[in-house]
Amino acid sequence: MSMPGAFLGGAKNRLLPASLPFRFFVAAAIFHILAWLVLFAGAADLSGFVGGSGAILAALHLLTLGVFALTAIGASYQLLPIATRQPLSRTWPARASFWVIMPGIPVLVFGMIDGGAMALTVGGVLVSLGLLVFAVLTADNLRRATSMPIVAAHGWGALLALLGVIVIGLALILDFDLGFLGDHQGMALLHMGLAVFGFMGLLVLGFSQVLIPMFVLSRALPPRYGWTHLGLTIAGLLAFGIGIALGDQRVITVAGVIGFLAGGVYVWLMRNALKSSMRKRLGDSFVLIKASWVFLLLGLLIGFGLVAGMDIPNGAALFGFVVLVGWMLSFLMGILQRIIPFLASMHVEGKSGRPPLLSDLTPAMPLKIHLICHFSAFALCSIGIVLDIDLAVQIGALVGFAGAVAFATFVAIVIRKLTSTAD
Amino acid sequence: MSFMRRTPQLLHEDHQATIVVIEALDQLLARAKRAAPDVRDPAVNKTLSQVASAIREEVSGHFAFEEDELFTRLEDAGDVGIGMHLREEHKAILPLGEQVSTLASGALETGFTDKGWTEFRVLAGELIERMFAHIQKEEMALLPMLDDLLDPETDMTLSTAYSDSH
Repeated sequence: MSMPGAFLGGAKNRLLPASLPFRFFVAAAIFHILAWLVLFAGAADLSGFVGGSGAILAALHLLTLGVFALTAIGASYQLLPIATRQPLSRTWPARASFWVIMPGIPVLVFGMIDGGAMALTVGGVLVSLGLLVFAVLTADNLRRATSMPIVAAHGWGALLALLGVIVIGLALILDFDLGFLGDHQGMALLHMGLAVFGFMGLLVLGFSQVLIPMFVLSRALPPRYGWTHLGLTIAGLLAFGIGIALGDQRVITVAGVIGFLAGGVYVWLMRNALKSSMRKRLGDSFVLIKASWVFLLLGLLIGFGLVAGMDIPNGAALFGFVVLVGWMLSFLMGILQRIIPFLASMHVEGKSGRPPLLSDLTPAMPLKIHLICHFSAFALCSIGIVLDIDLAVQIGALVGFAGAVAFATFVAIVIRKLTSTAD
Repeated sequence: MSFMRRTPQLLHEDHQATIVVIEALDQLLARAKRAAPDVRDPAVNKTLSQVASAIREEVSGHFAFEEDELFTRLEDAGDVGIGMHLREEHKAILPLGEQVSTLASGALETGFTDKGWTEFRVLAGELIERMFAHIQKEEMALLPMLDDLLDPETDMTLSTAYSDSH
């Protein structure tokens, strides 16, 4: 029998049971499908979207909570103990966090479409509770971290941002009914900024320090640049928060400049990793990952243009779409298609009792279909937003839906192989 | 990666050297595809020569050192799983490496037949995939653990012995 269950630490048990991270990845794959479907339903509202309840807000949260957060949580539970060389103190709270967040997301999203205060509140509380459990478990692990301070520091930053996201998110939900926030839209912007660039962004930047060099077999990344983009990201988020609180456009513009610098340092660092890569053929996953870095810079440029007062057609919606779908979704889909077979390989026995080949666990066709659909959907929806063509957004959403189904097929095939041979 | 202790650093340097050979082999397969390459081509000849010598000699020494000196120490410290897992991968990689080395040596002397090239492609393709995944795991898990595990004296003894054996 293979000894997968104890790999990466044996008695220290740093490899979690497969069912733990995989349940998050499966749910993320399903919410990915739903996000495109809901976007299709609300396509007519996408170009002019600047906030407010409805299908676009629902699609946005299916993506950010359903896909991004669940992927990040599942990956963090597994990867953080490896990076910090400290096991999770307990696994049952990690399982519990899933069973609180996962049902909370559809309830919350239903509330966003329906406008019902009860669904919004129940969904918001469930999701917040699950995220808090994740935050506590992760904080406990980071507190005991003995290695990779750069990753741990990004983790702490992400957790602080997550607390802000939760508090502001709950306040926004209550404000729908009570109307106590002076600037609802400003707080919604801050909520989004903290969620995407703070919580998710810092996790992505932190894990990139480890995962990208490992995947491409490059030299170690010089930590000073990692510290630089961490400092710039935090400074940018603080400036953004102050700018929103003061209603001062100049401070928000400064935040945009700092944010662009942070993104620039990160992308430059990743480019250096690729330049020193000893692996030349990186596969389709790196087509997504490399494109995501381009879209990060493009999104930050659009955002900077907006705060600087440039007239970009439907700029707010375009900014959100480029950042969320172009950067974050592309990056996570690229990473997921690498780590899902990799983790599965730790838990399955290959042919003739030998460890399995990753290629045996990675069905190529669904990933190829997803790749084509993902970029086609991105292009169609972006054109639809800029030119205000609802049909283009609708077709784009349908193509995105097809890609998401293909990606879910990939996940299902890997899991079928995992469950048919797991120890 | 860079490591505090000499032993993981030496293993890391071995990995880099192996990656160079494996990457060259990968490029050779990618360029030639189904048509057997001409072994008189200097680039093909160089790659096959590296494969013929490096995998059999360097990799087997590297694996033996890990199994005899390092996994045992990890097991004594309570980390049983990683050694067992990596030993299983060694068991899969070594025979493959030997087969590929033998085929490469043969090809250097007589060239590839169509059948021989097909066999070489299949085995080398599997070797490349297994070796890259194996090195990734060792770089991510084993070498950092050694950094934690080895005290300076043991590190010096092991690294000196390993250097001398090369």
